[in-house]
Amino acid sequence: MTPRSEIFEVLAKVCADPMGYARAWKTRTGRRVIGSFPMNFPSEMAHAAGALPLIIQEAEDPITAGHGLLFPFYCGFTRSAVDQAAKGDLAVLDAIMFGDHCVQLLGAADAVRVALPDTRVIFFQLISSMCDPWTLGRSKESFEKLRFELEDFIGEPVRDDAMRASIALFNRGRQAMRELYRMRVEGRVALTAREMQYVVKSSMVMDRAEHLELVEALVASASENLPQPEKRAVRLHLSGHFCQAPKPELLDMIEGCGAIVVGDDLYHGYRYISTDVGEEGNPMDSLARWYLDRNTGVPCPTRVQNDVDWDAFLLDAMRKESAEGMIVLMAKFCEPHMYYYPEVKEAFEKAGMPHLLIETEHESMALEHMRTRVESFLELIKRRRGVARANTPEGEVA
Amino acid sequence: MKKHVMGIDFGSTTAKAVIVDMRGRIIAWSVSHMGAVSDAAVHEAVADVLTQASLKQEDMGRCVSTGYGRRMLDIADKNFTEITCHARGAVAMVPEARLVIDIGGQDSKTIAVDANGLVAQFAMNDRCAAGTGKFLEVLARAMEIELEEMGDIAMKAQEELKISSMCATFAETEVISLRAEGHSKENVLGAVHQSIATRTLGLVNRVGKKGPAVMTGGVARNKAAVHYIEKVLGIPLILPETPQIAGALGAALIGLDDYKAELAESGQTIEEDYEVDAQMAFDKACVTGCKGDPAEAEKNAPAVTGKLKSMMSNLQKHF
Ligand code: SF4
Repeated sequence: MTPRSEIFEVLAKVCADPMGYARAWKTRTGRRVIGSFPMNFPSEMAHAAGALPLIIQEAEDPITAGHGLLFPFYCGFTRSAVDQAAKGDLAVLDAIMFGDHCVQLLGAADAVRVALPDTRVIFFQLISSMCDPWTLGRSKESFEKLRFELEDFIGEPVRDDAMRASIALFNRGRQAMRELYRMRVEGRVALTAREMQYVVKSSMVMDRAEHLELVEALVASASENLPQPEKRAVRLHLSGHFCQAPKPELLDMIEGCGAIVVGDDLYHGYRYISTDVGEEGNPMDSLARWYLDRNTGVPCPTRVQNDVDWDAFLLDAMRKESAEGMIVLMAKFCEPHMYYYPEVKEAFEKAGMPHLLIETEHESMALEHMRTRVESFLELIKRRRGVARANTPEGEVA
Repeated sequence: MKKHVMGIDFGSTTAKAVIVDMRGRIIAWSVSHMGAVSDAAVHEAVADVLTQASLKQEDMGRCVSTGYGRRMLDIADKNFTEITCHARGAVAMVPEARLVIDIGGQDSKTIAVDANGLVAQFAMNDRCAAGTGKFLEVLARAMEIELEEMGDIAMKAQEELKISSMCATFAETEVISLRAEGHSKENVLGAVHQSIATRTLGLVNRVGKKGPAVMTGGVARNKAAVHYIEKVLGIPLILPETPQIAGALGAALIGLDDYKAELAESGQTIEEDYEVDAQMAFDKACVTGCKGDPAEAEKNAPAVTGKLKSMMSNLQKHF
């Protein structure tokens, strides 16, 4: 069995250089690489078409060439995606597909089109109102249109049985990753937040069969020599960050302050793996259903869901994880998050659940300053353990 | 049993050390000024506070550090952030305080606290030096005056001017152009302090004006900063006698909690009240609470037991 350290070495390498992985895969297989923007593209479809589906990641590099195409008040992810396009880093992608989920993403897609005039950029409109009687029908229409465009691009039909096989493979991948999550909550596996991110983020890039093998090996090796978590460590839930992965140094810092991350709803975390696609029946129906189900599984503020609240979901998830506090990671200029955050804040204050808001930026991170805030937050939680709760509501400690 | 605990605040511009006894009373305190990377000041403050108290480092039951350099001190058993320590120290100094405004060398923070000195909510200046002691330092340099003089000069401002930039570097440019336009030092400095006050108001609103406000940190000794902050807040600020040692005191008190918990866990009786009283009575040949009239003091003295009782009954009254 591959040792755990070697598995993480592979996953970390993919996360650090997704396009490098894609170039090597393309050379190795001679097949297409289809890029997509987060968060709603059904990668199963591109996989069924024989391509490597790759979700475009925010890069580490400072934005330079991209400044000429997108204003600095766009979120870090969109600016980085455009910057990578402008620098030629996305050249390995044969096509880019995306469904709209916010205004900034739409702007970024236009800028990518300008930067990559020879790359096919396929746009698909997704219904954002999730509770209407016509939502399911409309989402199916969008996915069918997407399939049509994809078939047009590859010049052949994407067969239903290939779709079903891809769906099954992706489901197995999600299930294996969810098993790791479960084991972490139950204390059966010691995984840092950085390692968990490596697992999920790499699955957005790698050949899925190859990735599944590594994750299943991780699950199998999990219970060996489990170090006991520090008794006084604060159990934390991480929330937010939709399109980009939080910087690993930030995750290290949070855990280094004396916390263990026991759950999250990050896109580069549980949000991405929360929901499986039905394996029976018409795959297009199943994908349309999946689009709806994943938003009730882990609600997203980019969608309008009247019957499930994100804040109620978070409080419930934290109860199940026995989390004592939540850190909200908000990417600067992420409008959907900014709009929804006040509701989360209010609900958490009402529930007496401590939470800390950290705004993150692509360019800079005042890590020492953040550390003081995180440590204070953890001290607040630790010192309140056992102290009869005063009437003063705890809450946002921005 | 060791009978003292030390708190050290290793800040960006000053180092503070406090020793408290088992009742949490300040026995000695010291403040030393330092360079950005020097830890000489912290050793100086520690040495000074030990000398004042006629104690040695080994006499400390606990030593807790706070401040930017909190992790750099080998003598500290534990460290806590400035936010946790200022909250605890400020409420110890001013028990009715429910809002702590702390403006230190490199950061400013507002903390909503409960009656136990526990943090309910907090907000900090993010990223830059806006609204901190550093901001004042940069502008003092730009105006070629001593930092300590700034407050007094600003209090003489006659005219309201505006500095809109929060960034110390941009504010420096504004200050220079205001001076070039012929505005007096007093008026420009008034505007500098007004700018700190506006920034502080923003931080206060993030945690809420939840009750009496106490100001701690070095900038609390700057009259103009206090004046302008009170003006924007519309409430008076309570100023402890020694606002700059609130963090170190808080660290010491948190250390004391920890030390007492450890003693209790190991089954040791904490007889601090009796012991301290006995020592006081013995030292002064007097009774608890005596203010020159032991007969009167004895009537109101708390019930005494054991060792203390026998000791007191043998004492020679002093008149
Ligand atoms: S959802 Fe937020 S992070 Fe994602 S593209 Fe839109 S603004 Fe950027």
